[in-house]
Amino acid sequence: MTIWFRILLFLAAILSLQLVLRNIRKSKLLISDSLFWIFFSAILVILAIFPQIAYVVSDLLGIQSPVNLVYLVIIALLIWRVFKLYLRVSSMDTKLKELAQRIALNENKALFQKENIFPNKGGRTS
Amino acid sequence: MRTLIIIPAYNESQNIVRVVDNLIQNFPQYDYVVINDGSHDQTAQICRDHGYCLIDQPINLGLAGAFQTGMKYAMQNHYDAAIQFDGDGQHRPEFIGAMEEKIKEGYDVVIGSRFVSAEKPKTLRMLGNNLIETFIHMTTHKTITDPTSGMRMFSRRVIRILATEINDGPEPDTIAHLIRSGAKVCEVQVKMDDRIAGESYLNLSRSIRYMATICISIVFIGWFRQKVDLGKEEVLS
Repeated sequence: MTIWFRILLFLAAILSLQLVLRNIRKSKLLISDSLFWIFFSAILVILAIFPQIAYVVSDLLGIQSPVNLVYLVIIALLIWRVFKLYLRVSSMDTKLKELAQRIALNENKALFQKENIFPNKGGRTS
Repeated sequence: MRTLIIIPAYNESQNIVRVVDNLIQNFPQYDYVVINDGSHDQTAQICRDHGYCLIDQPINLGLAGAFQTGMKYAMQNHYDAAIQFDGDGQHRPEFIGAMEEKIKEGYDVVIGSRFVSAEKPKTLRMLGNNLIETFIHMTTHKTITDPTSGMRMFSRRVIRILATEINDGPEPDTIAHLIRSGAKVCEVQVKMDDRIAGESYLNLSRSIRYMATICISIVFIGWFRQKVDLGKEEVLS
């Protein structure tokens, strides 16, 4: 790992951290969601300051260049995060659907059932 | 002074009647509202059958979401104070009066603490409690003996903030953030009961995640957060 690559890692970590904190400040990001990015930046900073870690681990795993290990770590973390994001999107989809259905059903109830009118029964009261 | 008791309830069908009936029969001076947080059990139906004041959320939003719904209700109905109250009967309403007195004295947040005059037991749970206490003290120079207590009363000007801010949930980091923003916080000694039925929300992995979030939020993120604008102090009669 060259010194320039380490500086690049460090700058990337600081920039992503700054982005996260700015969005918390603007009340656009939940603190619980920021945790991943804070740990992510911390890992990048640690790898930039102590590249020996990357050397030792890449040796152990038989990876030729320590830089490749850094890429691997970043890609693995991102894939894991994307999967978690998919889970979140699925659950939000379901919740949104439930909400829309509940609102629509309630509206129907408020409009018709209160007066005991059922237009689908030709206006008869039941 | 009008005080609202907010009771978030998630799958509390075994407890909710005991908790709310106790309030209605023995403490009619307080208003209450049950927030059903998309329970899978009969919680909402039981509340309707008993004629309780109920807000029924069609989906599960989590404690923070349910709590905020209660805060919005308190704000819309112009309550002077609102208290977060457990749906499982851990909190005892006889201590609400003492907490109200503190709000009248001008405090913004009154925490029902188990450890103002009593000793903290040395359990794993209390280790977390101690850690959060230390971090709050480090960052705000204020000692909160029971930061994880779920029994907290808020003044009108804080209700407005909690009802609208996205990062001020019912957790200790919000207390730290409010202290930093200039809110006056104090504690009142209370007793709490063990939960009688149902399961606690926290398991091991959730506990670790919870501790990490709260601690990082207090010692790191808190530094960078914008202070909330509390507005003028209100005098209550």
